[in-house]
Amino acid sequence: MKYVLSISIGAVTFLLICIAWLQSGGLARERMRSSRTPDEATRLLLTQVQARNWDKALSSLANTNDVDKASFVHDLGGSNGSLLTYATLEKFDVWPLHANEQQATVRAKLHYSTAVGPLDDVRDFQVQRAGDTWKVSWPAGKLEKPAPQVIPVNYLRWDVINRGAEDDWGVQNVDSPQVRIVSMNALQRPDRVVILGEIVNEDTIPAYINVGATLLRADGNAMAQENSFDKISHILLPKQVSPYRIDFPGVQLKDIKSVRMDAKSMLVPASADPVIAVNRQRLETDPLGKKVLRGELLNQSGQIVNIPHVLASYYDGSGKVIWVSDGYVDQELQPQIPVSFAVDLPDDIAPKVQNYHVTVNHFSSSHTS
Amino acid sequence: MGKPAPANLKPLRRIKRLLSFVWEDSKTVETNLLRRPIPLTAIALLAIVVHAPFLFMELPLTTSYDANLHVFFASHYAHHWFNPWNEKWFAGFSQTTYPPLGHQWIAVFSLLVGLRMAYMLVQLAAIVLLAIGVYRFARLWVDERAASYAAAFSVFLGMVSFLVYSAGQLSTTLSAPIYLLALPYFYHWSRSADGRALLKGVVLVLAAASVHHVTLIFGSFLFALPVIWLACMDRKPETSVLSVLFRAAIFAVLAGIGVGAVLFPYWVEIIRHPIEQIPIPHASRSNLLLNMNYLINYFIVPYGALILAMPVVIWLGAGSRRLRPLMLGFWVALLLGLGGTTPVPKWLFGRAFEILTFERFTLSAALLALPIVGLIAASLIDRFGGKAAGALALASVLSMALAMGWLTWSPFHTLSGLNVNSVVEFLNRGGHDHYRYLTLGFGNALPKVSTYAHANSVDGEYNSARLLPEMTHYGSAQLTSSKFFGTAGMESLRAMLKHANNYGLKYIFVHDPYYEPMIAFAGWRQIESYDSGSITVWSKEDVPPARPIQSDAMPTPLEGLLWGTLPMGSSILAIVLAILLPDRHKARGRFVPFPVRTTEPEFAREVR
Repeated sequence: MKYVLSISIGAVTFLLICIAWLQSGGLARERMRSSRTPDEATRLLLTQVQARNWDKALSSLANTNDVDKASFVHDLGGSNGSLLTYATLEKFDVWPLHANEQQATVRAKLHYSTAVGPLDDVRDFQVQRAGDTWKVSWPAGKLEKPAPQVIPVNYLRWDVINRGAEDDWGVQNVDSPQVRIVSMNALQRPDRVVILGEIVNEDTIPAYINVGATLLRADGNAMAQENSFDKISHILLPKQVSPYRIDFPGVQLKDIKSVRMDAKSMLVPASADPVIAVNRQRLETDPLGKKVLRGELLNQSGQIVNIPHVLASYYDGSGKVIWVSDGYVDQELQPQIPVSFAVDLPDDIAPKVQNYHVTVNHFSSSHTS
Repeated sequence: MGKPAPANLKPLRRIKRLLSFVWEDSKTVETNLLRRPIPLTAIALLAIVVHAPFLFMELPLTTSYDANLHVFFASHYAHHWFNPWNEKWFAGFSQTTYPPLGHQWIAVFSLLVGLRMAYMLVQLAAIVLLAIGVYRFARLWVDERAASYAAAFSVFLGMVSFLVYSAGQLSTTLSAPIYLLALPYFYHWSRSADGRALLKGVVLVLAAASVHHVTLIFGSFLFALPVIWLACMDRKPETSVLSVLFRAAIFAVLAGIGVGAVLFPYWVEIIRHPIEQIPIPHASRSNLLLNMNYLINYFIVPYGALILAMPVVIWLGAGSRRLRPLMLGFWVALLLGLGGTTPVPKWLFGRAFEILTFERFTLSAALLALPIVGLIAASLIDRFGGKAAGALALASVLSMALAMGWLTWSPFHTLSGLNVNSVVEFLNRGGHDHYRYLTLGFGNALPKVSTYAHANSVDGEYNSARLLPEMTHYGSAQLTSSKFFGTAGMESLRAMLKHANNYGLKYIFVHDPYYEPMIAFAGWRQIESYDSGSITVWSKEDVPPARPIQSDAMPTPLEGLLWGTLPMGSSILAIVLAILLPDRHKARGRFVPFPVRTTEPEFAREVR
């Protein structure tokens, strides 16, 4: 009994551990490490990127010696406080596009968790056979750096004085800036109601603004209350216009009698810096078949912008705002170096778009607007 | 033997006599010191000597995950004993979602020594009770000497240090020993229908459940089943197995009714709001073999040198008919404690696997192994004398040292030592407590803020009490640690920030710049910073003052009254019974002796 029971317990324990090891992907891990297929080679690279193990990731490339490490890390892990530096590669899907005996192209959908929410990216990887194994070939290239130059600083700035140290921010005892909602449009989307439009600062001083909306039922009672959150420029300089969008998930337009809009404003210090130009804007279809608005951002100031946020408003033929979309750019804006962006546009709205306008919010580790 | 006691030992003996209802000392006459049981008094003193310095340094409050949470709960009882509705977290939650006894004792002691030291006193009592509980539980299975070794080892157990100084699980470490103390009564009642044992056992079970119900629920199976098995084996010749089982069932029914009554407000709350949250990931559920840090954290550190003894525990347990139930209980607990390393927990618990954390089973496994480990130690000391004693002592100390060292070496660091005085000061001045607040990147320093600030938060550290949809629909835990839950965490945070105006959430304290982009894009502005910028304060100006959020989870006044009296009453009753009703089985020496193999024939001893 002594032998039988103790050996049985040992054997059953070992068996259970093996079963769990297989169930939790232990075998798949081992196979991935061997990189016998282009998929496995790509998965291996992305697993190392996921762990932010840059040295291992770099050494797993087919052309390790040709790749600049700073550029490689910048591309996959970000730098200078860009959104990628606040991101974790949470999961990825990999599938082959085409392959032959020596080369293959593998597409990967990368899902990042970032400081501003989820971020998806689609990348194509070139993979090469190296003996019995496959390795990803990374495009060689150096990190682009701005040339030394002098950039004159002549932007407008508004300071607010006479605030005591004991006063809270926003307690100024002065009139609020004049702001006005210039358009409002309620749309029924498959899973939600969307309220969108534009707001303008009509005053001669900068304003902090926030737009909220309350949906009212037929009996006049409030049904839901939401606000624009990050789908707005909260700081508006004099005469500046911002689009806004407020989402009400799970609500049907037919249940709503009316909408009560609430635009709050207050005086805040602000500056026109940094100046970010939006160039080469065009509507396109991306490799996954989705409609996107693409363009380039150019930081015309001398300081790095860590996280740019693109807000795009779309107009129909009558000039009415029919959609507002936004997107965070995963690279920082170095002075004078263009960075491309793309924001989604629903397929059913794209044909109606006659015009669009892009504004850019930003986060810099020292200040925001 | 007949020498008068030295004068300086008299007070100690008097104390020992007064406390003799708790422990029993050696009656064995053995001249070789190494072959004598360690007196339980000495073991209790050892527990105090080893752990009191760490506790009086208030180490758990700066190194552990949950100690500040328990202090927070206790602080509420200190101010509102009969009102378990606490508005400081989750815009209001009921403390009837967590058994109160440990917190209530802290609240009582806090009137004398303050909250922090009161926590330490209760934790120290738990450690001492654990040694006594292990001794009494081990005495069911092994002789007095091996039981005393088991109790001594429990003082140095890596898992105990892990739970006290790293996890801060006061409730588990307090509930387990009370339950261990109840088990011998369960055994004696089941075996010999001792009415006093039934009464004292049931009351102790009620007290254990009042501290931590989960420990009791799982302990019922892992500890009670082997004890029933043992009671069947040890039954009197005239008693049938069925009658033993019947008496065990009576005990279980009475204990079940008692627990139902003592924790009545808890059951009301759990029925009204069953836990339907999206499961939150926990490392103890993962396959430990796929992550070295998890393996160290959940296996090597908690078990320490016990790992070396495991094969022998299985071997000895398999070989002894009497120890077999104990060994099998240990094996099942071991498998459960390994979390996702084996499929057993998933098979047994089904969906509940995603809700439970599994380190608690490691404590059960270690406690179940200790009696056999005590036996192994006795055998080694018999064979190798002082060398074995030295090696065992070294292994014990190293086990504890590893657990204490892991506090520093571990990649998982807590933030419970964060200085939050400036945050508390901000919230308590200038009417800032008219609004709710949120901390980001504060980890388990959040309860410290909540304990001393007057303002309320929408966040909180106790996941089971959360009812706000912004928190329960995403599969993440505390908002203050959102980033560690990936997309789920950040989406939960985003949902809460979107509804800031509804909750009066105006102030956000940031201790991790990771969160700054989201709150900046959402319209918050930095207004102050503390500690050279390590903590920043952000404010949003269009937020109206906080208003009470209506909730059907609010306990009725009657539930508050029951909650404030029955759990504490059960513990006081247990103490009174222990003093007033001496144990009959002790007086009559009715422990079944553990069979000892003799190496020499008796006549040889007489010839010498």
